[in-house]
Amino acid sequence: MFWNFVLRAVQFRKRRLALAFVALAVSATLATALFSVYSDIERKMRVQFRGFGANMVIAPGGVERTVPLAAVALAEKQGAVAAPFIYTVGRVEGEPVVVAGTDFRRSGPLTNYWRVAGARAPGPGECLVGSNVAAHFRLKLAQKLELEGAPCTLRGIVSSGGAEDAQVILPFDAAAQLAGLPEGGNGVASLVQVRADGERLASIQAALAKQLPGADVRLLHAVAETEGNVVLKLRSTLFLLTALILAITTLCVSTNFSALVLERSKEIGILKAIGAAERKIAALFLSESLILGLASTAAGYGVGLLLAWWIGRQIFPESAAAGVGVNYGVFLPVTGVTLAIATAATLAAAARIWRIKPAVTLRGE
Amino acid sequence: MFFRFVSQSIRRSPRRKAMTVAAVAMGTAVATAMLGVMLDIGDRVNRELRSLGANLMVTPKARSLPVEIGGISYRPVSSQDYIPEDQVRKIKSTFWQLNITGFSPSLMAVASLGGRNVPVEGVWFRRRFRGADGSTLEAGLRTLNGAWKVDGHWVDDGARNDSALDLMVGGAVARRLGLKPGGTLQLFGQRFNVSGIISTGGEEEDRVFVRLEVLQRLVNRRNQVDAVQVGALTKPEDEFARKDPAKMTPREYDRWYCTPYVSSIAHQIEEVLPMAVARPIWRVADSEGKVLDKIRGLMLLITLAALASAGLTVWSVMATTVIERRGEIAIMQATGAGNGLVAALFSTEVALEAAAGGLIGSWVGLLLAEWVGRAVFHTSLEIPAMLGPVVVGAAVLAAVAGAAQPLRRALLLEPAVVLRGGE
Repeated sequence: MFWNFVLRAVQFRKRRLALAFVALAVSATLATALFSVYSDIERKMRVQFRGFGANMVIAPGGVERTVPLAAVALAEKQGAVAAPFIYTVGRVEGEPVVVAGTDFRRSGPLTNYWRVAGARAPGPGECLVGSNVAAHFRLKLAQKLELEGAPCTLRGIVSSGGAEDAQVILPFDAAAQLAGLPEGGNGVASLVQVRADGERLASIQAALAKQLPGADVRLLHAVAETEGNVVLKLRSTLFLLTALILAITTLCVSTNFSALVLERSKEIGILKAIGAAERKIAALFLSESLILGLASTAAGYGVGLLLAWWIGRQIFPESAAAGVGVNYGVFLPVTGVTLAIATAATLAAAARIWRIKPAVTLRGE
Repeated sequence: MFFRFVSQSIRRSPRRKAMTVAAVAMGTAVATAMLGVMLDIGDRVNRELRSLGANLMVTPKARSLPVEIGGISYRPVSSQDYIPEDQVRKIKSTFWQLNITGFSPSLMAVASLGGRNVPVEGVWFRRRFRGADGSTLEAGLRTLNGAWKVDGHWVDDGARNDSALDLMVGGAVARRLGLKPGGTLQLFGQRFNVSGIISTGGEEEDRVFVRLEVLQRLVNRRNQVDAVQVGALTKPEDEFARKDPAKMTPREYDRWYCTPYVSSIAHQIEEVLPMAVARPIWRVADSEGKVLDKIRGLMLLITLAALASAGLTVWSVMATTVIERRGEIAIMQATGAGNGLVAALFSTEVALEAAAGGLIGSWVGLLLAEWVGRAVFHTSLEIPAMLGPVVVGAAVLAAVAGAAQPLRRALLLEPAVVLRGGE
């Protein structure tokens, strides 16, 4: 009997309920999408900051002039990206030029910002040159560069706006040899650049400093702090906006649910006149609201996930493999909030049931 | 009669009207707050990103290649190329001067400290000067790198004084030589006071910073600087910005010139400093562009979603009120009102309610946006004045659109059927 009542109520007031359903589903959609986006915005934004290259350097400390190459392996063991660099001065056509050496396979992710015409990672016997060097010696790709002691074939021209523009860049071993280090180097570099995840930066720095007492392990504050700052600010903006939107839409939804009870005074009057207990009538309205709430949350959840997926794909296409910002875990909070609001609003309005006098209401006053 | 009808209708059921107005106000508040934040967030984040330091490097047009490792030059000093110090402030008189948030000229020299060559950089720490329009401007290391950590205090060089012997040292140098703020350091045969220690993690750690005019006197290179770092608020590069300006049509060239791309700002600096080349530092310029693009895009899409839902809310509220009042419409029709008149009455009422809700909502929304700006960025957001009126207009449109369809349906129904209580 009770459920019959509830089902019929839904059946006969389709249009009215459809509108309430739409309103609630829209707010559930928005809540799902915003929660989803918010929940992994930090990870996604930190990925964007990888373009800035290293956020830590291991430089010679104290009286040292070099860094042990073992530092690279130690940093990699901590889950960081690390690459050794070595610098020396070489000669081309009798003129001095700065020669840099690096392990191209490792330094690739740290030098994304280099604009390279040609190949980014030359092999043995090949090299890159900075744009100023190329202009100065009128060099072209695939040409032989007469670097004294280590002639090489030019594979790419680098332009970065930084020191690289005036350098010849060789594979690490070739540069180490040119610098006068024995074959295979004796395991040292001028500098090791490290890129670690923003959240674990401080702990990785502490660990490396302990393992490398002779070196100066330092954070590049500008990069590390700007990253932290921007990510934090974006996150708090999103958090505040999400909270705000949720507060406003739930307010809206709650008026909707109250209206569902308030506009049915006549029905309540009839029910009371034929002897229904107030408690039972309240239960009737509550179950109606909960069914409506559940249905629209489910719909909103589906659409919201789609929306989050679409936003993720539009803005962060490169992280498409990693689930594109869809967070299934938001179902419980969204449902919880929606049902709590529905219950509260219905109950608040249901207080009227006790005050309605059937005789007065049914007479039409 | 028409207006009495409308005003009576509003006055007679204040509770229901209040609910409608409140619903519209809430939708509008969401829309306004989102738009307000979205329109300004790019600018705010751009300013945050300036703590990365310079994104443009200005160097003299060199006839020879610089041979420098970590600030130490390996080429015998001969006829050096330079930028005259008194020309440097012209950077602040270019077309995009307001986008240039800081610049810092420097002169490099090398000194022997503790048995090792250390680069010594002559800089403006924070120099005040008069701009082209008479306003007081600031430039120097400190304005450009406001976020640097300093142990001790910055050298105060607001005015030129080439006999003030105070300096700052980088953290690595300080550790090696055991220097503390307040200590002294022997440099070029002079006793300098160490006023602060700079920790950045970068190559500044291995340097010593002295006043530009003092270094110019000591190495006898008066009025000369080697490089100027410039920090500018730029627009992220897009397809258009990557075109070669030399191959643009005059029209494209104007558009490029009048957009604050990092390349066009560099071009304008070269125009005022013909002896120099200005180059974007891609490590900073490229990556900040990417970050900005992502944030702008994300906020835009979220705002669109919020706007759509706000519009739906307003639309559904108005549709509900019309459905509820079908009886009224039927009575009006039964007493002889034409469809046009009824439609006009109801639309006026709906528009008035939406305008009232929109006004309240956009006011609240502006306050909320302002609050978000203060809470997150500690400054008020710059929200265009047009935002309020535009949002109110949109709310009225959404409301009338929402009411239109159910109104049309109600008008098509037979009054007799509706009044008898049937469908």
